[in-house]
Amino acid sequence: MGPYIMEKFRSGQSHIRPAWRWISERGLLVMTGDETLARYEALLTLNRPEVEDIIPADGSLFVVFRRGETISADLRAALAGSVERMSVVTGALHEIAVEYGGAAGPDLPALAEQACMDEATYVNSHAAVEYVVAFLGFQPGFPYLRGLPRALHAPRRASPRLRVAAGSVAIGGAFTGIYSASGPGGWQIIGHAAAVMFDPQRDVPALLMAGDRVRFVPR
Amino acid sequence: MIEVLRAGQCDLAMDQGRPGWGAFGVPAGGAADPFALAAANRLVGNDEAAAGLEIALKGPGLRFPLGGIVALTGARFAATRSGGAAVGWNEPLFLAAGETLNLERAEAGCRCWLAVRGGLALPRLMGSRSTFLPAAFGGYQGRVLRAGDVLASGASPGGMRLLRARPPSSERDMPLRVVAGPQARQFDAAGLLAFFAGNYRVGAASDRRGLRLSGPAVTHARAELPSQGVLPGAVQVPPDGQPIILGWDGPVTGGYPVIAGVIAADMLKLAQLRPGDAVRFSTIDLERARSLAAAGQWEIEERA
Repeated sequence: MGPYIMEKFRSGQSHIRPAWRWISERGLLVMTGDETLARYEALLTLNRPEVEDIIPADGSLFVVFRRGETISADLRAALAGSVERMSVVTGALHEIAVEYGGAAGPDLPALAEQACMDEATYVNSHAAVEYVVAFLGFQPGFPYLRGLPRALHAPRRASPRLRVAAGSVAIGGAFTGIYSASGPGGWQIIGHAAAVMFDPQRDVPALLMAGDRVRFVPR
Repeated sequence: MIEVLRAGQCDLAMDQGRPGWGAFGVPAGGAADPFALAAANRLVGNDEAAAGLEIALKGPGLRFPLGGIVALTGARFAATRSGGAAVGWNEPLFLAAGETLNLERAEAGCRCWLAVRGGLALPRLMGSRSTFLPAAFGGYQGRVLRAGDVLASGASPGGMRLLRARPPSSERDMPLRVVAGPQARQFDAAGLLAFFAGNYRVGAASDRRGLRLSGPAVTHARAELPSQGVLPGAVQVPPDGQPIILGWDGPVTGGYPVIAGVIAADMLKLAQLRPGDAVRFSTIDLERARSLAAAGQWEIEERA
């Protein structure tokens, strides 16, 4: 591959608005920043037939097109236009009981120490905040909760655990979340919630949806 | 009705998948080659959306206590049936009551699809009968088939014509065609050169969640970024530089830079890659990729 082809590959997306990036011809990543949830609601309302799915994530939306379809002028205009940020309806508030520390939260002592707090203070800080579900990902129904106090931010574990129990309340970077299924995982575990985060048999399979609010209640 | 006498390596109930649940963290999943399963369904008179079996690498031994009509499409497996009659691909097979179908190893490629007249009678979860192994739901009890399992088939559809299916022309040895990914600019010339000039091997740890490749390391500037939506075919590059092509049951969001995306038309080739196979990549532009969207369609014709 020559330098010209290489440059063409790298800049292959430059004719599109800088905030848009294709992943393949069926997936468009739109950098939506703080407007992610407002734009998500707006696109859902638009209900474009060429769109198969819309996935909100950390400051971006991902639009999946049906096979053989591509972005319509209407959708293009909607993405380029401004969005009414106040239009987002405030999501439901969920209170989730958590057993912090001990066997339920093996990483709590180390995290508290790193944050120069005792465990009780750390737990109170974690439970004092009202979080917002930024998006679901990683596992079905796994919520990425925004609002973690800066002092509680912590990197993922250097080597992931092979098995993390469903219901584990954990911290990964600037997010806190709840494992919805058992499996491998790299976030730092501080507690356990009995709430069932995901059940494919329910009409609405996930307990939490993007935009919902969460408060943790220590048991 | 199908009795599993002997399980294959990974036999999964699949249909055309459950698109539209990405915001719940659930990928569309479904048959790795939806066109091949649709063709098998048409051969037995089913709706294309009926559930069948996706069989990988080494197939199962199946018994049909009541007989039935089945069809196989996709990779050819060494196969026998009771009485020693030939097991044809891409045509309906008429099985007498009590007859067995024994699928051994794939002769070339990785996956085949088996449709049974009436479709597999399984509950729909979130709109689909496809197995989603990572969260253990859908399909047959959310898991791979085991010896002793009994799968019911649904009511037989109306009339049936004798058909033959012709697969799309195969280009198995061609490189996988990709378009530039959202983080393509983060990769320097050395990284891109490694990616496009390199010969990669499909690793043993590959499955429907992703194909792990090994080969020349693809160097890049930044190891992690905010989680972004991804889809099957996205080529992620983790810090060790060994690319991962996300598969049909892969996560809906990811935090590794995406260098490129395999075009929809070439996802069918991905379905037939097995551990140890060689992989190369070549670039194609978006417009050309879109023009290939119909690739993978089967021709179904009346049998003379």
